[in-house]
Amino acid sequence: MSHFTNPLEYVGQPARRVDALEKVTGRAKYIADYKVPGMLHARCLRSTLPHARIVRLDPTPALQVPGVRAVITSDDFVNHGLYGFPVKDKYMLAWQKVRYVGEPIAAVAADSPQAALAGAQAIVCELEPLPALFDPERALDPDAPQVGPDRSDGRHPNLKSDHMLVCKGNAEAELADCPIVLDRRYFTDWQEHAYIEPEGVLAMPTPEGGIVVYAPNQSPFINQGNLAMTLGLPPNLVRVIQPTVGGSFGGKDDIIYESSAQAAKLALITGRPVRMVFSREESLIASYKRDAMHMRIRLGADPDGTLRACWFRGILDSGAYASETPFTAWRASIHAMGAYRYRACDVDVYCVYTNNGYAGAFRGFGNPEVCFAVEQTVDELADLLGMDPIDLRLKNCLRLGDETAHGQVLNESVGLVECLTTARRLSDWDRKRAEYSRQNGAEKRRGIGVAAMYHGMSLGAEGADNASGTISILPDYSVDLTSGLTDYGTGSRTVYTLIAAEELGVRPERIRIQRPDTNTAIDSGPTVASRTTVVGGNAMRAAARNLRHTLDLAAADLLKCDPQQLIRVGESYIGPDEEAVSWEKIVDHAREMGLILSAHGKWSAPKIEWDHHHGRGTPYMAYVYGAQIAEVEVDMRTGNVQVLHLWAVHDIGKTIFPQGAYGQLYGGITQGLGYALTEQINYRDGYIQETNFESYLIPTSVDVPEITGQFVEAPYSYGPYGAKNIAEPSLVPTAPAVANAIAHATGRRIRELPMNLERVLLGHDLQPAGSKKPVEAGLAIAPR
Amino acid sequence: MVIEFKVNGKQVSVDAPPDITLLDLLRDYLNLTGSKEGCAVGECGACAVIMDGRLMNSCLVLAPQAAGSEIITIEGIHAPDGGPSDLQQNFIDYGAVQCGICIPGMIMAGEALLMRHAQPTRAEIRNALAGNLCRCTGYQQIVDAIEATAKGRQKAI
Repeated sequence: MSHFTNPLEYVGQPARRVDALEKVTGRAKYIADYKVPGMLHARCLRSTLPHARIVRLDPTPALQVPGVRAVITSDDFVNHGLYGFPVKDKYMLAWQKVRYVGEPIAAVAADSPQAALAGAQAIVCELEPLPALFDPERALDPDAPQVGPDRSDGRHPNLKSDHMLVCKGNAEAELADCPIVLDRRYFTDWQEHAYIEPEGVLAMPTPEGGIVVYAPNQSPFINQGNLAMTLGLPPNLVRVIQPTVGGSFGGKDDIIYESSAQAAKLALITGRPVRMVFSREESLIASYKRDAMHMRIRLGADPDGTLRACWFRGILDSGAYASETPFTAWRASIHAMGAYRYRACDVDVYCVYTNNGYAGAFRGFGNPEVCFAVEQTVDELADLLGMDPIDLRLKNCLRLGDETAHGQVLNESVGLVECLTTARRLSDWDRKRAEYSRQNGAEKRRGIGVAAMYHGMSLGAEGADNASGTISILPDYSVDLTSGLTDYGTGSRTVYTLIAAEELGVRPERIRIQRPDTNTAIDSGPTVASRTTVVGGNAMRAAARNLRHTLDLAAADLLKCDPQQLIRVGESYIGPDEEAVSWEKIVDHAREMGLILSAHGKWSAPKIEWDHHHGRGTPYMAYVYGAQIAEVEVDMRTGNVQVLHLWAVHDIGKTIFPQGAYGQLYGGITQGLGYALTEQINYRDGYIQETNFESYLIPTSVDVPEITGQFVEAPYSYGPYGAKNIAEPSLVPTAPAVANAIAHATGRRIRELPMNLERVLLGHDLQPAGSKKPVEAGLAIAPR
Repeated sequence: MVIEFKVNGKQVSVDAPPDITLLDLLRDYLNLTGSKEGCAVGECGACAVIMDGRLMNSCLVLAPQAAGSEIITIEGIHAPDGGPSDLQQNFIDYGAVQCGICIPGMIMAGEALLMRHAQPTRAEIRNALAGNLCRCTGYQQIVDAIEATAKGRQKAI
């Protein structure tokens, strides 16, 4: 494995983000910045009821509104626009029924955003209310209102996923035998992605009858497939291009596919470009969220702190449509017991339909939810036993050679112990833990808390896991890269650039990486699950190696030697006569030899097996690990929690783009802090109450403390240069670390997210209040 | 109505409806799309510009209120040679940029701070950014970049 011993020139070295300059100058074009001649503006009519039958829908009055050019309903799509993966249950525009407040019913294209809104408001739409379901714990009652589609297998239509199981030994028997058992319930709330760029798309008809869609989506090929299917076009007449994306975090999948289909259909009908841009209110009302999760955990241990059994039950309230939540439920089940050894384990997680908006992918994908439960319960166990919480974790945490609760033996790259011990040292844990334990009665109390986590890499048993990359040398000797995986702010374009530079032996400045375009890139699966560095990075590495092989042949031919005799100094090649020959000369010679200076690389993740029926197997190829420590000050008069500092040590394997990796770490922690303390979505009878940033509170620069981050680099042999990943895991342990710090400071366990003022101060919620008004006002705002 | 003001050092005269915001005026009538709309209610700061020396959310300013004023937008921030300014370069060098949608507003907030406060502490920098939301970076590298710029400008004096 020469790449672990050879010094790396670009990988892991200081580098700059490839698209930073265009972003700091304001020149980067986001979807709302695009203007093309003849462009129309689109707008949806959205449901104002949580569950209703569409008894009358007459869109024609919209066409009487001045400036309106076209209006569409579900009838304008093939099979009413039915789409969705893994469950086909949603329509590009609602058909027959609406199932959440904000669901699109019709779409209008007009000369101006104001005319489009007026057109949408002119549509005659009569909704007959149906009994609605808001309580996920009642979703499977025999008399619960049916929200999910009919099913023929006799199971409850509101059951959205199978029961996701993890089974080891006999957990009930083991718990019965444990001297200490904790039995706790936890709740985690909905979370909005809150990308600062609201949703938008631009669709342009082509002269050949096709459509080009500029879509800030995560997975352009899925969008292309949906468009072809619902518009009835051959895939080669549908082209999806990803412009600069203003943040996504899992949030720009389905909602963008839907907007793409609506705008594309309107563009095909009118023969004109159609742009649809959401207002912030429309974004919060219509877009999918992180699921809310109801959990019960029973943890059994010996008096010496040895964990023996974990029993876990979880229900994901994932609202009116499936989106990706069945996969979220699976990932939640795999991680529900935390990064610990057990003799027995029994996990059962599933998701249900309700009329509370809808949930889909969000950074962490089920793990932040379960980590909040298990990491507090483990902490509580330490309290009960009088053990130091880090000592208890070190006693039980997964180490090299251990078998996980799923039956997977971890034979490499397990850095959790080092994460915990490093975080302990950096934070001065032992001194602070002792000092803060002696406080009493103060108006402001300090506490310090820890949480650990692991997170399965990439898709795991969710599906096929491979990617492609292409590389070519252009006439000006620049190097061109394409990947089917997208960069929505994550930094993957820079990661790929550094990998290609390393393998080719050229400066990163020579390399340009294209934005994903379904016409030029190769389908590499979805850009999810923090998989771009490992899966896409390996593919790019293979592509660059293939091209390097060609250039080495040309160099050997020119320098009249064996390829093995070649030496590289900077970009130049040196042969046996010790004269440096420029890279350009080698490229020229390769062309003269007739060699093709482009290459393709493909990489497939190692095969893994998961037995869904028995809850056993190898769910992921490997795991990343991390520990975070939060130091807080709690105002005992108001319940306000100020996070004073946060230490985060994560095992991410070899770091390829350190500055970007730290950025991911800090950003993930910040989303985790919002999840912990302030971000709350209230669906009151299905009506979201938080429709802009004055009520949906994401952390500001003064809410976030200085963060000390550090990486443990336990190399993973299948990762490029030993890399693993960081994007999602960064936010997973933040909320429980804060919760454990609050418990240390106050002696109070907050078992619900977010840990807002009233929950911290009073231990319960205030009387719920709310109305339809925020939604009604929000949907009446014309976007730009 | 005709609205006359100075933007990025250039006198402009725009015929626009009186009920649009300064943000719309900049984006739709002057094609200055570097200022972004993230919320339209003055919460996120993505539309921030410097108006007569003060940081303003342009989504909260009615276009006619801009008459007679002097406005700097992200398009007006650059080095004398047209390349990135020291602050912009530090945003690049310190990894302050991820998705980038909030960055024009962040640069304006940083410039507005440094115009009135040459040597801010990290806490003062954080306070100055409190009206600018970023969902990607966690702010830390943005604070680093502004701090480094302040130090760089002190050295240059």
